[in-house]
Amino acid sequence: MLQYYDPNKNSQPGQVIDPRRDYGTPAISIDADETVQLVTLSIDGQEVKMPEGTSIMRAAAHLDINIPRLCATDSLQAFGSCRICLVQIEGRKGFPASCTTQVEEGMIVRTQSQETAKLRRNIMELYISDHPLDCLTCAANGDCQLQDMAGTVGLREVRYGYHGENHLDAVKDESHSYFTFDPAKCIVCSRCVRACEEVQGTFALTIDGRGFESKVSAGQNEAFMDSECVSCGACVQACPTATLMENSVIENGLPEHDVVTTCAYCGVGCAFKAEVRGDQVVGMVPFKGGKANRGHSCVKGRFAFGYSTHKDRITKPMIRNNIDEPWQQASWEEAVEFAANKIKTIQKEYGSDSVGGITSSRCTNEETYLVQKLVRAAFGNNNVDTCARVCHSPTGYGLKTTLGESAGTQTFDSVEKSNVIIVIGANPTDAHPVFASRMKRRLREGAKLIVADPRRIDLVKSPHIDSEHHLNLLPGTNFALLNALAHVIVREGLEDKEFIELRCEDDAFLHWKEFISDPKNSPEAMAQGHWSAGRAHYCSGKTLWKSR
Amino acid sequence: MSIDKEASKEEMVLAIVSKYKEIPGPLLVVLHGIQQELGFIPPEFIPDIAEGLNLSRAEIHGVISFYHFFRSTPAGRHTIQLCRAESCQAMGSRELERHAKKSLEIDFHQTTADGQITLEPVYCLGNCACSPAIRVGDAIHAHVGAESFDAIVNELISEKVEVKN
Amino acid sequence: MANIKVYVPRDTTACSLGADSVAVSLQHYFSNNDIDCEVVRSGSRGLYWLEPLIEIETDSGRIAYGPIGPNIIDEFIAAKCWKINKEHWSYLGVVDEIPYLQKQQRVTFARVGVIDPLSLSDYENHFGFSGLKQALDMSGQEIVSQIKDSGLRGRGGAAFPTGIKWQTVLDTESDQKYVVCNADEGDSGTYSDRMLMESDPLCLIEGMTIAGIAVGADKGYIYLRDEYPLAFTVLEEAIVLARNSNFLGENILDSGKNFDLEIRLGAGAYICGEETSMLESLEGKRGEVRPKPPLPAIKGLFGKPTVINNVISLASVAAIIVNGASSYQNYGVNRSRGTLPFQLSGNIKYAGLVEIPFGVTLKDLLYEYGGGSRSGRPLRAVQVGGPLGAYLPESQWDTPLDYEAFTSIDGMLGHGGIVAFDDTVDMSAQARFSMEFCAIESCGKCTPCRIGSVRGVEVIDRIKAGENSVKNKELLLELCDTMVTGSLCAMGGLTPYPVRSALEHFAEDFESGS
Repeated sequence: MLQYYDPNKNSQPGQVIDPRRDYGTPAISIDADETVQLVTLSIDGQEVKMPEGTSIMRAAAHLDINIPRLCATDSLQAFGSCRICLVQIEGRKGFPASCTTQVEEGMIVRTQSQETAKLRRNIMELYISDHPLDCLTCAANGDCQLQDMAGTVGLREVRYGYHGENHLDAVKDESHSYFTFDPAKCIVCSRCVRACEEVQGTFALTIDGRGFESKVSAGQNEAFMDSECVSCGACVQACPTATLMENSVIENGLPEHDVVTTCAYCGVGCAFKAEVRGDQVVGMVPFKGGKANRGHSCVKGRFAFGYSTHKDRITKPMIRNNIDEPWQQASWEEAVEFAANKIKTIQKEYGSDSVGGITSSRCTNEETYLVQKLVRAAFGNNNVDTCARVCHSPTGYGLKTTLGESAGTQTFDSVEKSNVIIVIGANPTDAHPVFASRMKRRLREGAKLIVADPRRIDLVKSPHIDSEHHLNLLPGTNFALLNALAHVIVREGLEDKEFIELRCEDDAFLHWKEFISDPKNSPEAMAQGHWSAGRAHYCSGKTLWKSR
Repeated sequence: MSIDKEASKEEMVLAIVSKYKEIPGPLLVVLHGIQQELGFIPPEFIPDIAEGLNLSRAEIHGVISFYHFFRSTPAGRHTIQLCRAESCQAMGSRELERHAKKSLEIDFHQTTADGQITLEPVYCLGNCACSPAIRVGDAIHAHVGAESFDAIVNELISEKVEVKN
Repeated sequence: MANIKVYVPRDTTACSLGADSVAVSLQHYFSNNDIDCEVVRSGSRGLYWLEPLIEIETDSGRIAYGPIGPNIIDEFIAAKCWKINKEHWSYLGVVDEIPYLQKQQRVTFARVGVIDPLSLSDYENHFGFSGLKQALDMSGQEIVSQIKDSGLRGRGGAAFPTGIKWQTVLDTESDQKYVVCNADEGDSGTYSDRMLMESDPLCLIEGMTIAGIAVGADKGYIYLRDEYPLAFTVLEEAIVLARNSNFLGENILDSGKNFDLEIRLGAGAYICGEETSMLESLEGKRGEVRPKPPLPAIKGLFGKPTVINNVISLASVAAIIVNGASSYQNYGVNRSRGTLPFQLSGNIKYAGLVEIPFGVTLKDLLYEYGGGSRSGRPLRAVQVGGPLGAYLPESQWDTPLDYEAFTSIDGMLGHGGIVAFDDTVDMSAQARFSMEFCAIESCGKCTPCRIGSVRGVEVIDRIKAGENSVKNKELLLELCDTMVTGSLCAMGGLTPYPVRSALEHFAEDFESGS
C-alpha cells in the first residue's frame, strides 16, 4: 500500500481533535518525522500536555475549559482583537490574551476570577452599546457567538445607554444571491477579512477606515457582488454574528440537525454538513473533519445546493416499460423487483454480457464502488464504466503504469509541506477551488510555483501569488516539455537514485534513461534550484493527458 | 478632463508603481508618490496599483482609508492643517479652530466654495515651543491667532496663479 | 576682512518664525555690498523664544542676537549687528554663556545648533564618525556590552534598556536583520527628535550604523512622520552625503561591513509610533497593532529580528562608544542614567530644549528654565510625557524627573515632553480630549480602545452636563480600568492616565456648570 502523509499519524496530545468543536486557535502542524516538544502546564488546577507553540486557549479547550472569545476561531491565526479571552498567569502581571499567548512549561493559568469576570463583562458591555437589540427576531438567534458571550459573562445592563455613537443605521448589502451583509451587527472582529485572506486567499475584503469608523468593506467599499469575492462562503462561516448570514437561514430559520456528506460537484470531494429542517436541506456548511477540505468550501458546494429541492429532481422511484411510455411512480419494493427481473430476463435472453452499469464522476468513490460491486457480483460481468473515462482514462493508464496507482499518491494535506509546486495543464482556482486555496496558502508561505500552461491562469499572478515561472508552452507540447525536464535531470545526475532503486524496475528504468538522455530531448534551460528543493508537488489536469 | 490628461495621469501612476515595486513593502511609498504628483489618490487607479504590486484592490483601499494623510478626492488649491493637540490647546488653538471654521465657513475635511482652501486637523507639527501652529504646504507657522490666520489666508488667496503651458 | 560666518538656523520652529526670509535678506545684503560674510544654515540651539537666533563667529566665541524676525532684520543690518553691536537690544553675548544653555548638559545634543547639519567636515571636526570608526574595530558583542553597561534606556517613552534589546537581536540567528528608527514623534509637546534630525542628522545615521554593525543588520529604515517635512529634506540629504563618503552603504570605510538606510514616511497616524503598528506600516499595510509576543527583536520587520529604537536613543550611541559606558552612566540618578532632552512646551515663557541629567525636579524645569507661564497667569496643570501622560497638579511638581519617580505617582516621563497650562485651562475639556484623541487615533483593532474611547467622551459629556454625575464618574473610572487592563497596546492602555489624573486632581472642573 502507498505511504502517505497523515498529520494525525503521530497522535500527539492535542492532535486528536473533534471536528465539531472550535478550539480557538489552529493546531500546531507537526511532521511525522519531527520530534515534538511537549509542554506541561496547569489550567484552573488541571494539568495538560500540549505541543510547544500551542496557545493557552487551545490547551484549555482540550481540557473542556472554554475560555470566552469572539475574534478567535481555530481556522484562523490568533488575532488578539476582542480582548475577552484574557486570563491570569501566575508570576506575570496584567491579563494576557489566551489566544496569542503560547503555553510554557510549568505555567499556571487561571481562566476565571472576579477581575477577569468584571473585565469580560465590561468589554461585552462596550460591544453591546453599539449593537442592535433585536436578538429575538435576528436570523442568528440561537446561533450567535455575541449572544452566547453576553450570556456567558453575565451582562445585565449597558450603562452607556443606547444613544451614543453607533452603527445601527448602516445599510445592508443584499446584492449577493446567497448571503446578506448587515454591517449594523458587525463587531469588527475581522474574522471575515482574515478568512478571505488566510483560508480562501482571495483578499477581497478589508477594513475601511480606522478606530470607531472601522467597517468591513468588499473591494473598494463596494457591494459584495461587485468585488473580487468568489462566494466561497468562508467569511459567512467565520462570522460570529448575523452580520454575514446565509439567505437560506434568514428565510427559513436555523436547521434542526445536520448530516455529514460529500459534495459531488468536483473531484476534491469536500465534506459538508448538510443542514436539515425536517427532510429539507436548508444549508450546506463545510465540515472540518473533511480531509480534503478541512472546513473550507467553494461556491458550488456551499451555496448551490438548490438541486436538492429542484423540481426536476426525482424523489420517488419510477418505472416504465419502454422509452415511449410515461414514468409511473412505484414503491421501492416494486421498483427493485421490476429492475432485477428485467435485468435477469435480458441476461437470460441475450447472454450475461448484455447488461452493464455506468457510474458518474458526480458520484462519490463509495457510490462508484457499490455500482461496480453490483455489476461484478450481481450481474456477474465486468461491464462497468464511468463517464470519467472520457477525460480520465489516459490519466488512469499513465499513472497506473508509472506510479502504480491511478489515483493521487498523496493526501491533499501534503501540499502544506511542499516546497515546489508544478501545475501543468490545470487551472485549480477554477476547477478545484478548495484545493487551490490550500495550495495558495502554502505558496504565500514561500513555496515556489511553476505553471506550465498555454493559458495565463489565475495562479500565474494574483494577489500575493506570483509564479516563479510561467511556461506558456504551445498547446500540444506538454510532452516535449516534460521530456526536456527529464532529460536535464538525468543528464545532470539529479535523479533520486535511492528512490529509483527501491521502487523501480532496473531494466525499465535503464531503458527509459537511454531514451531520455538522447540530446534530442534536451531542453531550453530550466532552473536547477527547484529540483533540489526536496519536496515537490506535481498536479496535473485532464488537458495534459488528453493531448497526443 | 481631456482624455490626454487622464491618460498621462495613469501613465504617471504606472511609472511610480514601476519605480517602487521591487522594494520591500512598497505600498505606502507608492501612495505617497502618487499623492505628491496628483494631490490625491484617484480610486480609479487602484486596480493599476494592485496589478503592479500584486496586492488586491481591497487591501489597497484598506490602507488608503486607514491613514488620514491620504486623500481619495482632490483638495482645494491650498490645504491648511490646524494643530489640535495639547500644546497648541494650551495656547488657544480651540479659539483658533472656531475662528478658522467661522471665517472660512467650512468644517474640517471640507473645502471653501471657491475651491481655494481645504481645512484639515493635524495632531502636532513639532512646533510646540511656539504654539499654536498651522501648516500650509511645507511651511509651518507659529504663534497663530485669529489675525495672523486671516493674514495667511489672504495671502494664499491672492497668490498669483501660475499658468503652465 | 576675513570670512565671517553668520549662523541662521534652519529648523522648523526657527523657520516658522521667519528664519528663511531672514537668511535670504542677510545673504542679499552681504552679496550686494561685497561683504565677506557667509550665511551658514545651522541647526537651532532650541532656545525658541529667541528664534530666529543669529550667531556671529568671533575670536571670543559665537555672539548671539535674537529674536531677529523678518520684521527686524533690516534694523539688525542697519545697526551693523553682524559687526558686533553690544548696544542693540537683541544682543545676547556669547551663546554658550547664555544661562539657559550653560546650565544644560548637552551630551546627545552637543552639536545641535553648533554645526552646519549638512557639512561632513563640520561633523567630523566635532567628533563625528569617531564612534563609527571605533565600532568598526569592535565585535558585535563588544558594542552591545558597552551599550548595556551605559544604562541607556529607550528614549521613545517605554524606557526599555537598549542594550538588552540589542542583545536579543544579536543572539537571534537569521539570514536578515534590520535596524528601525522610530521617528514618529507624535506626542504633543515634543520636538527633540525633530530637532536632532534637522540639526544633527549625521549623528542619527552614525548611531544606526553602529547598531547595524553591533547586531548584524545590513539594512536600516527611518520611519519618519509626514508632519516633519524639513526633517525629511535634511535627513535625505544627509544620507546621500554619508553614502557618498562611504560612511554608509557597502564596505563602509573599507571594513567589509555593509549598512544602508532608507527613509519611509508615515501618513498621519499617531498609532504608528507604537512599534508593531510601525512595522505594519513599514510593510505597506494598515497600522494595526500586533500582539506581543513575539517581540520585534525576535520576529519584527518582515518577520526578521529587528532593533527598534527612538531617534534620541540611537543618537546617544556614538557618544557612548567614544566616551565609554561609564561616561553616560555617571549622569543621572537611580535607574535613570544619562541625560534626557526635555522639551518645554505650551504655556511656557522660555520654551525650548533642556538636556540635563535625570534628577532635577519638574518645578525647576518649569521655573528655573521655563520662567513660568507665557501668558503671565499662574501655571495650573502640566502634562508630562505626551498625550498618554498624567496631568500633574502643583502638589506634584516637586517630583524629580526620573522614570521610576514618575511612575510612582502614576505619571510618565515618556519622551520628555512637558506641556504647561495656566489657570484658564478646563481640565474636564482636557480629559475629554484625551478620550477624543484616543478615538481619533485608535487603530480600531481592539474593543476597549475602539469603542471605549468613544464612550469615554460621551460619559465625560454627561458628567459635565450634570447627568447622573456620581454614577457616570464611577462608570468613567471603571471604563478607565477596562481600557488599562484590556487594551491591546498603550494607546488604549494609557489613555486613562491623563483622564484619571484630571478627575483626581482637578475634580472641581468636572462639576456641571463649571
